[in-house]
Amino acid sequence: MLVALGAAALVTFPYWSAPWASRFATTLLRDALILAIFALSLDLLVGRAGMPSLGHAAFFGGGAYAAGIAGQQLATDQLPVTLGAAALVGAVLALVIGVLVVRSEGIFFLMLTLALAQIVFAIAFQWTAVTGGSNGLSGIGRPMLASIDFSSPDLMYVLVAVTFVLAALVVWGLARSPYGRALIGVRENERRMRALGYDTARLRLSAFVIAGTIAGIAGALSAYSTRFVSAQDAGLGNSVRAFVTVLVGGAGTLGGPIVGSAVVSLIERVVPSILPTDLRISEALLGLVFIGFVLFARQGMAGLGRSAWLRVSRR
Amino acid sequence: MIEIRDLRRVFGGVVALDGVTLSLGEGERRAVIGPNGAGKTTLINALAGETTPTGGTIRLGGQDITRLRPWQRARLGLAHVFQRTELFAPLSARDNVALAVAARRGPYRLFRAVPRAEYAEAAAVLERVGLAGREGVAARALSHGERRQLELAVALAQRPHVLLLDEPTAGMSPLETARITELIAGLDRALTILIVEHDMDVVFRLADRVTVLHEGRVIADGTAADVRGDVRVHDVYLGKAVTVA
Repeated sequence: MLVALGAAALVTFPYWSAPWASRFATTLLRDALILAIFALSLDLLVGRAGMPSLGHAAFFGGGAYAAGIAGQQLATDQLPVTLGAAALVGAVLALVIGVLVVRSEGIFFLMLTLALAQIVFAIAFQWTAVTGGSNGLSGIGRPMLASIDFSSPDLMYVLVAVTFVLAALVVWGLARSPYGRALIGVRENERRMRALGYDTARLRLSAFVIAGTIAGIAGALSAYSTRFVSAQDAGLGNSVRAFVTVLVGGAGTLGGPIVGSAVVSLIERVVPSILPTDLRISEALLGLVFIGFVLFARQGMAGLGRSAWLRVSRR
Repeated sequence: MIEIRDLRRVFGGVVALDGVTLSLGEGERRAVIGPNGAGKTTLINALAGETTPTGGTIRLGGQDITRLRPWQRARLGLAHVFQRTELFAPLSARDNVALAVAARRGPYRLFRAVPRAEYAEAAAVLERVGLAGREGVAARALSHGERRQLELAVALAQRPHVLLLDEPTAGMSPLETARITELIAGLDRALTILIVEHDMDVVFRLADRVTVLHEGRVIADGTAADVRGDVRVHDVYLGKAVTVA
């Protein structure tokens, strides 16, 4: 009930906040929610299944390009077509990369995901005829759903917020299901899972495809919102950004990636706006925050919140 | 139930299994004994699929399983209690067993809560192995003896046809050992059990037949009474370890 009210308040934010909040607040929240969807999908791998992927931007970028290119090539702005193309490309890329990586572990897994995602980035950067190469893909249209036109900033926000709520519901539903618990089993002891009769390589691959699909959808939302796709969307920087978001928020929790995306967005967008323009420290600040969490709070914001709650409730 | 023919396993230059031939009937309880390095754990690991044999064949219920992966063998009804405990450390005892219960129905059940029946079944198995009241404790917070009990509970929850036990009482107190021995003795007689064990009291309490391994070869194979009387067995193993009446 409380969650439903919160979701409704979130989706309608631009309308009730209009008297006191600026347009900037809606844009900021929109971008934070896109990052949250992206981070939620990565956390299925990092937090639940114990697969620290450094290549998740390949699926985000793939989805962003797919939405943009499908719209331009098919001359359509219908949401089911462009968003469907993004989800499909995210899923297929994740299937291809997943097949190559799911049998490796630890540092090898990390490096393999990084290397394979860099190949996707290189293709995006060099295949100028299709992707626009280093210029990026510009002039992407805002989508339509039947006759609903999402071209106004407020409606674009609503589309992002609704998708975010749906993505969070999907991840929550997966986490509490037998499937979600099996992923945790793979994370904690893959050998035991195999001895119990679980085909763990297939389990990991399925998680990869689900996560890639959701990341592709996040990429499409980014393309609609900014009306632009850059090769950097598929680059290492974007992968690291999602990874930092998950770890700062708290891996393996539903709230963690959401809180993490709020923190990262504030540091990236709000801090530079209150500091002098020649002082560009937001990336350095993000790095420091990340190091702080890795050293002192491995469980992220979610873990800090939980231990604070335990301390209060014990009194 | 199990037919092992001329099984070989070589690690680098070390021959761990040097042509082992062994067969177990359905419902048979077989102990494999032998000094350290005799190849007992290698034999169990080859049966479970953790180790790929260099040569020879393994059949389970007539089917050749020599090249099957561990998870495929588990699906055919093989359960493995590891020598070194393999559990889900931060998960509760109940969740550890529930994952074994759920394995029979497969993991691809999305978007609904874990059925209560699976937890109820897990609790029942935990009670059977003597862990009633410890359901909510994380595996890593259990004592060594309790972890071995939990390891057995996980294997039983798979409802196997064949149970491979690699030193189930290792590191247990005499009291815990006696309890777990009686628990295994009381299991369904239709269950085929292969047990590797150093404690001769446990071996002679549980086993119908005993196989003695030495340097990767079977040097004796017979009823418990036969093996007690075998001179070669005394030379390599029994005489040093225990006094036999």
